[in-house]
Amino acid sequence: MTRQPRLAWLLAPATLFLVLVYVWPTLGLFRIAFNEVGPTGAMIEAWSLATWRHVFADSFTFELTLNSIWLSLTSTFLALLLSYPVSLFLFRTESRFRSLLAVIAIMPMLVSSVVRVFGWLAILGDRGLINSLLQSLGVISAPVRMVYNWTGVTIGLAESIMPYMILALLAGFGRLDRTLEEAARSLGAPPWRTFLRVTLPLSLPAIALAFGLGFILSMSAYITPKLLGGGRVFVLATEIFEQATTNTNWPVAAVLAVYTLALLLGLLALSNLFSRRLQT
Amino acid sequence: MAYLELSGLTKRYRDSVAVDGLSLSVERGESVALLGPSGCGKTTTLRMLAGLVEPNEGVIALDGAEITRTAAHRRNMGYVFQSYALFPHLDVARNIGFGLEERGVARAEREQRVEDALQLVRLQGLGHRRPRELSGGQQQRVALARALVIRPSVLLLDESLSNLDAKLRDAMRHEIREIQRSLAITTLFVTHDQVEALTMCDRIAVMNRGRIAQIGSATDIYERPATRFVATFVGRANMLPAERGADGRLTLWGEALPAAAPSGGEVDVFVRPQRLKLAPAGEPAGADMARVSGHVLNSVFVGDHIEVIVAGPGGQRLTVEIQSGDAPPPDGAEVAVMWRAQDTLVFPREAA
Amino acid sequence: MRTRRVVIQAGLAALAAPSVLRAQTISGSITLMAYAGIFQDNYTRTVVEPFQRAFPNVKVNYAPGGTSAQMVGNIRAQKADPQVDVAIMDVTTSTIGNVEGLFDKITAAEAPSLDELYADARQVGGDFGPAVTFDHLVLVYDTQAVKPPIARLADLWRPDLKGAIALAAPPNIQGLALTAMVAKMEGGDYKQSIDPAIKKLRELAPSVQTFEPNPDGYSLIVNGVVKVATGWNARAQLFSDETKGKIGVLLPPEGSVFQINTINLTAGSKNRAAAVAFINYALSQAAQKAFTERMFYAPTNGKAAIDPAAIARTAAGAESRNRMIPLNWNDIIKVRDQWNNRWRREVIAAGR
Repeated sequence: MTRQPRLAWLLAPATLFLVLVYVWPTLGLFRIAFNEVGPTGAMIEAWSLATWRHVFADSFTFELTLNSIWLSLTSTFLALLLSYPVSLFLFRTESRFRSLLAVIAIMPMLVSSVVRVFGWLAILGDRGLINSLLQSLGVISAPVRMVYNWTGVTIGLAESIMPYMILALLAGFGRLDRTLEEAARSLGAPPWRTFLRVTLPLSLPAIALAFGLGFILSMSAYITPKLLGGGRVFVLATEIFEQATTNTNWPVAAVLAVYTLALLLGLLALSNLFSRRLQT
Repeated sequence: MAYLELSGLTKRYRDSVAVDGLSLSVERGESVALLGPSGCGKTTTLRMLAGLVEPNEGVIALDGAEITRTAAHRRNMGYVFQSYALFPHLDVARNIGFGLEERGVARAEREQRVEDALQLVRLQGLGHRRPRELSGGQQQRVALARALVIRPSVLLLDESLSNLDAKLRDAMRHEIREIQRSLAITTLFVTHDQVEALTMCDRIAVMNRGRIAQIGSATDIYERPATRFVATFVGRANMLPAERGADGRLTLWGEALPAAAPSGGEVDVFVRPQRLKLAPAGEPAGADMARVSGHVLNSVFVGDHIEVIVAGPGGQRLTVEIQSGDAPPPDGAEVAVMWRAQDTLVFPREAA
Repeated sequence: MRTRRVVIQAGLAALAAPSVLRAQTISGSITLMAYAGIFQDNYTRTVVEPFQRAFPNVKVNYAPGGTSAQMVGNIRAQKADPQVDVAIMDVTTSTIGNVEGLFDKITAAEAPSLDELYADARQVGGDFGPAVTFDHLVLVYDTQAVKPPIARLADLWRPDLKGAIALAAPPNIQGLALTAMVAKMEGGDYKQSIDPAIKKLRELAPSVQTFEPNPDGYSLIVNGVVKVATGWNARAQLFSDETKGKIGVLLPPEGSVFQINTINLTAGSKNRAAAVAFINYALSQAAQKAFTERMFYAPTNGKAAIDPAAIARTAAGAESRNRMIPLNWNDIIKVRDQWNNRWRREVIAAGR
């Protein structure tokens, strides 16, 4: 017990840092959410719920929410489908290049998302790699639109969260023991049954962890939807950005930001509940 | 042809040979131990049998049919892993029933067989527990029941008792042996523990460096070790360099040995410590007895016996085991050490 | 003796020329916040540097801002302790600053250049910062790929441009301007109704590749991603020169809309005198002439004697001025959300 106060002092710098860079700005955000906006866009200091009413009376907010959740679900699911085998391989391989392979798998994390997006434009664009290839092979006559729409954003977002999901999966694979799969095989389960009955159930906690992380990252991503969406993909994150930096409408941006934060916390609590159930 | 035939089985890894041309025949219902130090290839052999490792060369035949490349899930081998490998997300009953489900056994029969298996390993009523709610010994039993319930062609046990404490290990040893006998199930048992091998199996294959050094009954292995390795690995041993007399006969510590000497080359003399007897210095050897003289260096009380270390004229040492009830001679005492000539074995000296 | 006479002469001269006197007495540093990139380069060369030569004791720090909204946001965040003295931004955002008290009023008494401005340039800011540049919406196109070249706004609907158009949709002011232009093209007036414009734009939507060109329409044309885009005249002219005519610039005969940048004095500026002096200089004939001839923004100072060749490439010529749609940005801001919603639900939705 006598140690406790000293420990608290050790945490003080980190706490102070968090308060300064996170809690304080968040409180500021809350404050702005209660301001009003004049007819020409000027912000009026107030304690008012007008902006809240305005935002939640607009059915577009509901649409944005569904869009955000749908986009996050699809891109996280796509990323999971791609990351899972990669992680499983990295987790199991006895290759001496294992760490090198792991670094390669998470390398995209080190590249700015803007650069990655322009990479995708070069691959998926009308005159990009895939369209040029398919056209020169005569498979298609006109380019297939793969960017500036939901498809492009889903692909780009999935790719951008993959490294994080791979790391989360690797971290979550703790209980995945090769011997258990051997046991299943020795008991007569063919490989696919072994996967379904042993590997998959045992990696569910890892999948839940990775999915949660991927989902949150997707919900808060705005660069990818903005640059690859061609102005057709409206999600909460892009709308917050747009309201703050194009419309100069900070109160609306703040209300949407607080709403998104609450939404994420709610979903996080749900996923926590779910993964705790998986653990037992 | 025996029920289970391994011939010329070889498994090579990148820079080592784990199993090197191993051949072994096991009769139906027989229990064979693969005994050897770690890294001798015994577990690899077991895994090749189960289909978890593919051999580079050689043939595995079961009941007349070759299964060398048959997939693991089609082999019907009951494998008990060292770590038990119980499925943590399934309860005990579903762990045991796993193999039956894979075989499409109908639910009613499956439940009956799981119940029987639980009874066999004396875990009635624990079917709904999760593996982590069980003790080590109970987990071991579940693993055994899970492997047995599928009525395997061969039961494979991989160091299955090594994670248990000494007392539990003794109990499980007898239990497994009894189950194995009552079901008359062909069993291969990998262990590095000679007591396990000696007590649980009909025959023991002592393995060294990927090969079988000797195979035989417990008595064969213990009394008539075929190689120097077997002699020293199984049981306690005195191994001393012998000299050759002018007439070509062997001598130890300057005294003639009543043992046949293989022609040529340096040899070592092997005799088990418990076969040695101490006698007052100068007492003559009886007929068909070997005898050397030395003095007592010290005595160590080990519990069920006392080890008396006797040093010869050249400083070489012999360990003599006497019953713990007997009083050892005082340190420094001149003594004679005697043993029956038939207990003497001679091995050519190996390059280290 | 001689020195003193020089000093006295200089003093007399200074008395005779108040502006020179002021140039000597005003000192310190000010911070100008305005657009980054090509604007910063050209504005520094044609306005900031000459100002510093005229006011050698004043140092101007050019702080590149992002979009106008980001600039006004910055100034809003610094309201308690302003770090910026002068800001150049779009009128839609400077109006917000004026209402919020972020900017100060400027009088002709302290900045005589105000009296030389066109009436509409002065009125834009009311008593606050006036217009410093005029720009207008144009269509930019790939002269090599668009054959025949586009000649009117209605050409956007040409079938050969399908999938090759980049538009900046609302809330970007390009999208707002385009809406007003299409309303006029359809024979209506945005003040009455934009229904016809929205209907026409819905027909265009499937031809649009992106409603959010990044980094901008000019670059997308240079890179061959699209063939036609909306753009601002000044930048378009520069890109046209830079690409040696690959980019063509069209002021649609159906009419266009002025984009107005205002120059604003931050309330609470720590060096108000220098800031006002800079604003006065920026609005002066010399600065307006130099910047227009460099970057093809139309001047706001009616007395500036600008090279007719440069004027021809702006909307300042009489003919072009007549084509301009009289658009009050303050009115547009009030309907921005509404237009924005109609674009999203009707126009962009039709272009999925």
